[in-house]
Amino acid sequence: MPSISLLRAARLACIGAAFAAPAFAQSPTLDAVRQRGMFNCGVSPNLPGFSAPDSRGVMQGLEADSCRAIAVALFGDPDKVRFVPTTVQNRFTALQSGEVDVLIRNTTWTLSREGSLGLMFAPANFYDGQGFIVKKSAGVASAKELNGAAICVQPGSTTELNLQDYFRSNNMTFTPVVIADTEEIFKAFIAGRCDAYTTDASSLASFRARQGANAEQYVILPELISKEPLAPAVRKGDDRWFDIVRWSFFAQLIAEELGINSQNIDSFMTSQNPEVRRFLGLEGNMGKPLGLDDRWAYNIIKKVGNFAEMWDRTMGAMGVQRGINNLWNKGGIQYAPPMR
Amino acid sequence: MIRTLTALGLAAVWATAAAQTAPSTMDIVRQRGVLHCGVTPNVPGFAAPDTQGNWRGLDADVCRAVAAAFFGDPAKVRFIPTTTPQRFTMLQSGDVDLLSRATTWTLTRESNLGLAFAGIYYYDGQAFMVRQGTPVTSAKQLDGATVCLQPGATTERNMADFARTSGIRLTPVAMEDIEEVRAAFKAGRCDAYTTDLSSLASFRFLQGAEADRYVILPEVTSKEPLGPLVRKGDWKWFDLVRWTLYALIAAEELGITQANVDSLMTSDSPDIRRFVGAEGEIGKSLGVDNRWAVNVIKAVGNFGEVWDRNITPLGVQRGINRLWTQGGLMYAPPMR
Repeated sequence: MPSISLLRAARLACIGAAFAAPAFAQSPTLDAVRQRGMFNCGVSPNLPGFSAPDSRGVMQGLEADSCRAIAVALFGDPDKVRFVPTTVQNRFTALQSGEVDVLIRNTTWTLSREGSLGLMFAPANFYDGQGFIVKKSAGVASAKELNGAAICVQPGSTTELNLQDYFRSNNMTFTPVVIADTEEIFKAFIAGRCDAYTTDASSLASFRARQGANAEQYVILPELISKEPLAPAVRKGDDRWFDIVRWSFFAQLIAEELGINSQNIDSFMTSQNPEVRRFLGLEGNMGKPLGLDDRWAYNIIKKVGNFAEMWDRTMGAMGVQRGINNLWNKGGIQYAPPMR
Repeated sequence: MIRTLTALGLAAVWATAAAQTAPSTMDIVRQRGVLHCGVTPNVPGFAAPDTQGNWRGLDADVCRAVAAAFFGDPAKVRFIPTTTPQRFTMLQSGDVDLLSRATTWTLTRESNLGLAFAGIYYYDGQAFMVRQGTPVTSAKQLDGATVCLQPGATTERNMADFARTSGIRLTPVAMEDIEEVRAAFKAGRCDAYTTDLSSLASFRFLQGAEADRYVILPEVTSKEPLGPLVRKGDWKWFDLVRWTLYALIAAEELGITQANVDSLMTSDSPDIRRFVGAEGEIGKSLGVDNRWAVNVIKAVGNFGEVWDRNITPLGVQRGINRLWTQGGLMYAPPMR
């Protein structure tokens, strides 16, 4: 009965507004997802390493698995997710309109997106940066040698802005070759319609890996010209939903840090370590305040795995190094607040 | 599907209605003309009044930075001392607009209290201290050492984990009372003392003229991320606090300082031009003046300057609190 839950939500919102009590915020998104029995996750239709269908049509990739982790937190079932393909142009509208519950689509967390679009970003699940790929035959070793080049770029995204900034800062010019569709831009670059193709380094790596035996013909230049923290986005104003999305990811980091993975998790059930016991839902009621089962984190690790497992079978398999995406105590910057 | 769409439509209506009836934190602060910032009553380095009664410290400077972002004036802050038991209630009740009070971000604080952490400005956690003259510069060189600590599963387990992963042997010397632990360490009954970094810093500060006899080693071996909190449900305010923190970090990365920020208004760098408000509208998207970030840096300096002024004198090294480009964890999403 949506009307009843909404009245409750409104009443609680009023209480919250009057500062009378620390109300447990109701979540319109959580209510809608539960009623639907399915979680709608906005993804990229075909970006290997992030989200792309395998030969059986099953979506694979780091972002597809992040969607699954949330589905598991909600339903205990990684299959209760509908992957909704979104384009670079329509992705924010899809989230704003409620067509998707979360957007996990190679999307950079920026100030103006957070300030102006009514969205907010959960932590970055992948710290990326924009790079360039050229043909080996071009004999280019650095992005600073690209003055006057034709550059293939997708429109309407920060990628285009970064490109302009970089060339302007280095007193160089370029000719943009703007193509919206990912497959078309690959083809254009391969066919020589541009000298270089620019997008996030991770996407360049997946493009290169897809060339199979021809991968050697392409070179990713060393410069990363931007910070591109890729992060899930949710609509503003739904507190509990934001918590669920951000802590579903933190749970995967915490498991890696504790040495818990999908294979060994059951052997931890007799652990006396309170941190482990809270994580597994054996003590501390870590799920209920989020509106979840206390075994939500256990379920995520059992069914999707910790962050390292997710990385290894997606980006790792594409040849992308962990680098700054390592845990904070292993040379990277991935860090989760304590679960207690 | 229709039901869902109807529900979402209704949700939007309710949200709009709520927004119209409840004054936002920004409205309240603007009308009052001063930011109410909850701080600790007296923790040197974080928030404590100096001899002239001016609040000094990292927490206090974060309050000033938010006031500078919002009003363009870092003096428009009232520092409100809060005790540990009452701090969350004071934020929930609206007595303070922001809690900047060396508080660890945890799951249950975020999920149970109706509060949200806007970011992390100090990665605290368990660390080690030795006496001056001990020939080590890293906790990893403490093989065979005896370590004074207060008994407690977490402290001992963290130390055991650190010893195991570093391939060294550490022997705990446990004592219940904190003063007893500190006296034992000073008297040389153990080679090192372990507790949270901020607590080691406070111990060292209390030694006054003898502070230099003690050295805090750079490694942080557990997680106590400290950050500012706001009430949930007011995301414009959340954004302002979170991006004020990021502005401090981004300024350090871009080389923008309290001294040079004015001269950078004519910079050619697009990142710097957006930061100082010479182009783009990032201030507008946060609901503040487009020169908000300039006002923040003019008020307190960049994150490195804030750290050097407040934390360095405590004998705490930057360590994991350095920028991500320098081996630390401090990272700001792009300000564009």
